[in-house]
Amino acid sequence: MKAQVCLIDASKCIGCRACQAACKQWNQLPAVKTEFTGSYENPPQYSCSTWTKVVFREYNENGRIQWLMSKQGCMHCTDAACKLACPTGAIYHTDEGTVAIDRIKCIGCNYCAAACPFQVVGFDRVTNRAEKCTFCHDRLVNGLQPACSAACPTGSLVFGEEREIISKAQARVERLKYKGNNNARIYGLDEVDGTAMLYVLADKPEKYGLPADPQVPLGTRIWSAIYGPLRILVVIAVGFGIWANLTKNKELDKAKEEAQEEKE
Amino acid sequence: MELTRRSFLKLAGVTAAAASLTSVGYRKAQAAPGERLRIRYTQEFHTICTFCGVGCGIICNVRDGVIVNAEGDPDHPVNEGTLCSKGSSISNVSYVFDEKGKPVPNPNRLTNVLYRAPGSDRYEVKDWDWALETIAKRIKDTRDRTLEEKAIVDGREVTVNRTNSIGWLGSAFCTGEENYLFHKMARAMGVINIDHCARL
Repeated sequence: MKAQVCLIDASKCIGCRACQAACKQWNQLPAVKTEFTGSYENPPQYSCSTWTKVVFREYNENGRIQWLMSKQGCMHCTDAACKLACPTGAIYHTDEGTVAIDRIKCIGCNYCAAACPFQVVGFDRVTNRAEKCTFCHDRLVNGLQPACSAACPTGSLVFGEEREIISKAQARVERLKYKGNNNARIYGLDEVDGTAMLYVLADKPEKYGLPADPQVPLGTRIWSAIYGPLRILVVIAVGFGIWANLTKNKELDKAKEEAQEEKE
Repeated sequence: MELTRRSFLKLAGVTAAAASLTSVGYRKAQAAPGERLRIRYTQEFHTICTFCGVGCGIICNVRDGVIVNAEGDPDHPVNEGTLCSKGSSISNVSYVFDEKGKPVPNPNRLTNVLYRAPGSDRYEVKDWDWALETIAKRIKDTRDRTLEEKAIVDGREVTVNRTNSIGWLGSAFCTGEENYLFHKMARAMGVINIDHCARL
């Protein structure tokens, strides 16, 4: 259950990338040197300094050109694969329902990046830490909206209470269907138990570069099912070891003392 | 404290146990750095975006003379709190961050008056007094030299008092009142080629 969510209305996105620049500005992320790849999508990859980006996709079907764009980044899933994959418990859900990385606990194993169904976790090779969108948690707890939605000039990104945003998204989808787009749909309501980024897409999610059916990888589920209890076992074993060591030492001390007494 | 082999092992065991306890989650997750707002205790300044002719309102947060954040002004009627990608990065016009993340003045920013004389191939650094005086002098010269007092319109002579040799450009970064004054000043001098960058 998310308290506050962000609606990403891809049908209203004009690809100005104000969200991308605002994210870098607020989070003080350095620019990345890139080369022209033939698309406006730049930089092409998520990284420790690119937490969000506008994804551009072009399609030419029967002479009809479709140019799709949407802001993408961490979805802040309720059933977060990264949280399950993290071996040190560095990834957690905040009280606001966002997914955050504890920078002190992160050991840089990169399991979260491998498990993420949206492939949005970046890795900082200098500090050896995973980095991703924080949903501007510092702004949220201070009553501000995220930097990306504050900057959006077209109203493609709308931040608000969950119920209000869902009804807004449904109204927008109905409107698009009324206008003749029968492919319009909501994305992120049921996927991975609901995400804090709710999309209104004008076409199939695959066309936007989003997974059609995002799932927590089975391996991650098994890993977390084994590793969770294992951590408690380790604690119990260490505790038992200390106890055994102390009692054994005491017995040894006693035996030594007795031996000394006998000598005397 | 005397560190014997045994006490060292004990200490190591306790430390390992404590460390493993924290990873199980007995310690509340560390709050992410930056829970305090980055822009707290900063001074707010209102300004206008200097890029295009739209003239979006921006709030700059300034600490110790350095712009630490700039974002759209929600009360500004033009942009209502939003900004484009260029406007979002406007704080870099004055300050850029070096490799260590320390703000340094943008080396590409113009801080002096640069003057290129007619026919010259280089810019010279001049001061503002010289520049304003020269501009005023040249405007006066050109206007006096090229002023048309009368012109033939539709076959009859009318008083026009105009000069065609000067072009006048307003600015989207000024308020409507300021642009009104610019316009009046240009009209008073007889300039009729008046334009504005916000021709959207």
